[in-house]
Amino acid sequence: MVPAATVPRLLGAGVWPRPLRPHLLQSATPGRARPGGRTLASAATPAVSEPEDSIDVSDKILSQPLKHSDFFNVKELFSVRSLFDARVHLGHKAGCRHRFMEPYIFGSRLGQDIIDLEQTAAHLQLALNFMAHVAYRKGIILFVGRNRQFSHLIETTARNCGEYAHTRYFKGGLLTNAPLLLGPMVRLPDLIIFLHTLNNVFEPHVAVRDAAKMHIPTVGVVDTNCNPCLITYPIPGNDDSPPSIHLFCRLFQTTINRAKQKRRQMEALYRLQGPEGLGARGQGLAASPSLGA
Amino acid sequence: MARSRLETVGSVFSRTRDLIRAGVLNEKPLWFDIYNAFPPLREPVFRRPRLRYGKAKAAIQDILYPEDRIRAKFYSAYGSGQKAFDLFNPNFKSTCQQFVEKYIELQKLGETDEEKLFVETGKALLAAGVILRRVEARTQKEGGHVSWESEPTGVKPQTVLEKNQPLQEVPQDQHLETSEEQPKGLSPP
Repeated sequence: MVPAATVPRLLGAGVWPRPLRPHLLQSATPGRARPGGRTLASAATPAVSEPEDSIDVSDKILSQPLKHSDFFNVKELFSVRSLFDARVHLGHKAGCRHRFMEPYIFGSRLGQDIIDLEQTAAHLQLALNFMAHVAYRKGIILFVGRNRQFSHLIETTARNCGEYAHTRYFKGGLLTNAPLLLGPMVRLPDLIIFLHTLNNVFEPHVAVRDAAKMHIPTVGVVDTNCNPCLITYPIPGNDDSPPSIHLFCRLFQTTINRAKQKRRQMEALYRLQGPEGLGARGQGLAASPSLGA
Repeated sequence: MARSRLETVGSVFSRTRDLIRAGVLNEKPLWFDIYNAFPPLREPVFRRPRLRYGKAKAAIQDILYPEDRIRAKFYSAYGSGQKAFDLFNPNFKSTCQQFVEKYIELQKLGETDEEKLFVETGKALLAAGVILRRVEARTQKEGGHVSWESEPTGVKPQTVLEKNQPLQEVPQDQHLETSEEQPKGLSPP
């Protein structure tokens, strides 16, 4: 039995508690009891065969959120003003600028690049929405960031969401050679969130390229010296100031918790409805998604 | 699960979609529907970063305001502000900012001559209680340079220059300064 104190160390060392190793799982992430292996078809479909209406229900649970443009209402979590106050718009000096970040830069004030917050807001909204949907479908999310100043913050954020974090040295084949390094039948993350896209020698983090190789979508905070090409949902913004990173961590944590809570609500609703009348009631409920928090 | 590890070819989405279409990948990944419903603003395709050659420059403009001219004149005349900047306070107004605001006010009243405006703003600020200490510029000529002063103590820069070597760049903010104390204050420690 692994004591709870060493579980964060294991999280930090890049070993995710796997659903197949229940002795590690108990203290880390409650409620992650999944059947073995990886099921890709639909996250809610259990392995045991069930009557047809539960498959209908699970399809409804999964497909309904996709019809709304902002099902989890992530827009209200931030504003351009709040991004400005958190100093998200401050970039590096003009000499450090990466060529592909030029479309996201508003201008350069006395040599320091200023990021366009209108674009950042749009990108951030898309990214939070994607993150929320992945969490809603019970996907595994991995937070990655190699800046030592914030590694503790990232790990606590991940723990508060019930997800995973890796802020230490990223071993070579962790994603690409997972069966060897982590054991057979290991489920890889469904989304990787980068708080810092660069590693400690200012080169792109290996996980960016490896996630693209392994067909894992990524969300990442890209500063003016980063390469945003391979990141699925980049968020142009400052990744060096404490207020900025605190804001991002808070936003990510709130979104993921909100999405998981929403999932629990929807499942409870449909379970309550039960075999009575799925068609008529389902629409009434879907029209007004209510958030507990 | 089948994958193609070609991160330089297309985006994650295009590769997965094509693998599914070809029948190689049997089950849709979790994120596929979400990406379909909410695609990003730019498809994450790999691009090789190429250097710019010759005279090609980035299309990023400098951010400059009309107040910057006033600020430049202020700093060249008075050196860095006497009051330290308090960055913790979001509504903080530095000496320079007060100067700029007063200048614009006076400009709106109808004045056009820049030198005059400058002098007027200095006087107005003095009247408001803000102390401005003029700084001796490095390229100051030896004789009779002084066009205007705004210090209450009436420092004579020529005497200062004769006595000491240049240049006390950042003057101290002291009320009880006399011209005698001036050279002492400016002598090297």
